[in-house]
Amino acid sequence: MLLFQSEEWIETWSLRNHLERGEILTLHQVWELSKLWYGNRLSVDYHGRSKEQVAEIFKQVGLTSKFWDVSQ
Amino acid sequence: MTTALLWQVRHFIYSHLVDTTLPPSVDETARHFNISAEEAGALYKELADRHAIFLEPETLTVRMAWPFSGAPTDFKVHADGKTYFANCAWDMLGIPAALHTDAVIEAVFTESNEPVQLEIKNGQIANSQSTDSQFTNYQSTNPQPLVHFPLPFARWYDDLVFT
Repeated sequence: MLLFQSEEWIETWSLRNHLERGEILTLHQVWELSKLWYGNRLSVDYHGRSKEQVAEIFKQVGLTSKFWDVSQ
Repeated sequence: MTTALLWQVRHFIYSHLVDTTLPPSVDETARHFNISAEEAGALYKELADRHAIFLEPETLTVRMAWPFSGAPTDFKVHADGKTYFANCAWDMLGIPAALHTDAVIEAVFTESNEPVQLEIKNGQIANSQSTDSQFTNYQSTNPQPLVHFPLPFARWYDDLVFT
């Protein structure tokens, strides 16, 4: 995941690399996702997570489009 | 190999990264657990198979223990008196989230190659500003840096370095 100054720069990067645009999140959205995704990563009890748990995290931060679908 | 030992090794890798900013070698892990290097290597491979860590191809060197990077990147995170490298724009925020601490992040915008500094303070993104003096009006014209996720979740593990 890369950091960009604006959507225009993402468009330029995508065209230059012949890649389709993915999803664009604000830093605040990524910070909220990070807290849920990584908040317990240093715990000795963290053993990974199920697809259902991943889906719940995405849902909590409003990532509900097909892009974030964990069932495939 | 026991499952309990497997997860203890995972925890040791992370603790070592937090303490030293670098992942432990297989030999360091073997010494810590008083096991052979072959056993430690097998545990590293098992953790990689479970996507708990990512090894440099054809080696037993930890490249990623998300959100930490074992190799230098464009995403530098200063926290708790240490400097860590993150794997990507998501993980640069993941490090203070994992450490539950304030942080100053130095990164580089992709494509435009402008340096930027971000700050996490008291659990919030406190500040973001371009560190290029030519961009003094950065915050007024570009108040919100963006993170691009190029691949859908279903394809994240196809190519972890690209992802």
